[in-house]
Amino acid sequence: MISDDWYVIAAILLLALCSVITRSTYMLFGHLMPLPDRVRSALRYAPLAALTAIIVPEILPWHAQHGPMLDLKLVAAVVSIWVYQRTRSALLLIISGMLALWLMRWVVTLFG
Amino acid sequence: MTFLVVLKLTPYCNKAIALQYVLIHQHFSRRYSRSSGAILTDTSPLPDQHALSVRAQRLCAMRQGAHALLPGLLALSVWGVVTGVAMVKSGLTEHMAVLMTLLVYAGSAQLTSLPLIMAGAPLWLIFVAGLVVNLRFVIFAAALHPFFKNMSWPKRLLMGYLSVDVAFVVFMPRFTDAPKKGTLEQHWFYLGSILSSWMVWQLTSLLGIALGSFVPTSWSLDFAAVLALIAMMMPLVSNKPILVSIFTAGVVAWLTQPWPLRLGLIAAVLAGSAAGMWAERVFRKGRI
Repeated sequence: MISDDWYVIAAILLLALCSVITRSTYMLFGHLMPLPDRVRSALRYAPLAALTAIIVPEILPWHAQHGPMLDLKLVAAVVSIWVYQRTRSALLLIISGMLALWLMRWVVTLFG
Repeated sequence: MTFLVVLKLTPYCNKAIALQYVLIHQHFSRRYSRSSGAILTDTSPLPDQHALSVRAQRLCAMRQGAHALLPGLLALSVWGVVTGVAMVKSGLTEHMAVLMTLLVYAGSAQLTSLPLIMAGAPLWLIFVAGLVVNLRFVIFAAALHPFFKNMSWPKRLLMGYLSVDVAFVVFMPRFTDAPKKGTLEQHWFYLGSILSSWMVWQLTSLLGIALGSFVPTSWSLDFAAVLALIAMMMPLVSNKPILVSIFTAGVVAWLTQPWPLRLGLIAAVLAGSAAGMWAERVFRKGRI
């Protein structure tokens, strides 16, 4: 649990500001700033790159002492992506990923 | 004559009387026109009738907007529950989670910020990460702007703030080729979509927050948040430059993990964007 409430409140307020800036600025001042094509294409890649950068450390973590290591979450993520490729369903992706993680942990506790 | 005296004595009633007069007049003229429409040439709509039809049009467009969104709302509610659970499970108190849901109203930015907040990353990095993840809304707003530029700025601010992916996805194909942009129908259609999304999102998020406090941590439901982010990315991975961009960002994010304060995020975004643009140029040249 986090003890530092003000830190969290400040983070929440800043994120709310993010929502307003990204969604409303163009609505308010769009007539003043046409979007160049180069910027437009860069904007297409940045969000996916950021999401990747958030996901990768969660499923492929580096341990403080041991360096990079394998995590069962990586396998679960691969399974969920495979299920999505078959079904095209976001819901099934989430369900299968969770089930795969629980199943593998259970197997590991059986043999460990 | 007595009528006039009353009018003089009570000047403050003028408005009410004038209104009554208009109503009576309309009542009679309507009856008259119905009985002998051929004689009455003035068939312009009456003020209250007109107002009613505008309201009916608005309601109709709003209902259409909400209806067109139904499949999106299903996805949104799953996403809302997952986000609610994830916020509580990753260590936010319930109060903070509720505050975050109500103010931020952006699932991907919320889920992105959770690991950063847990790691105690500096506030500016959380802000920058939130901006980057929300960048897609800049493109949405640029595309939506022509439809809303005739509105007053407070309304545009509100319409922008309440914009969500699903509403945009439903709105654009429907109205891109509309001959006239900024019509009543378009405004209220969009409003119907974003208001129903807002309600569904907030209700399901609160449900998730309530659920999150009952579910034991050992279930690691915070992993559902990571899966939800993957689910969000999957439909967007549509061509080779995007794959190249994601792969580059992933490798950089993996290699830069020992960096303090999760600053590797910035490096990964820069590398990923650059790689995507480079790949776009290379693949286009190759094709021509």
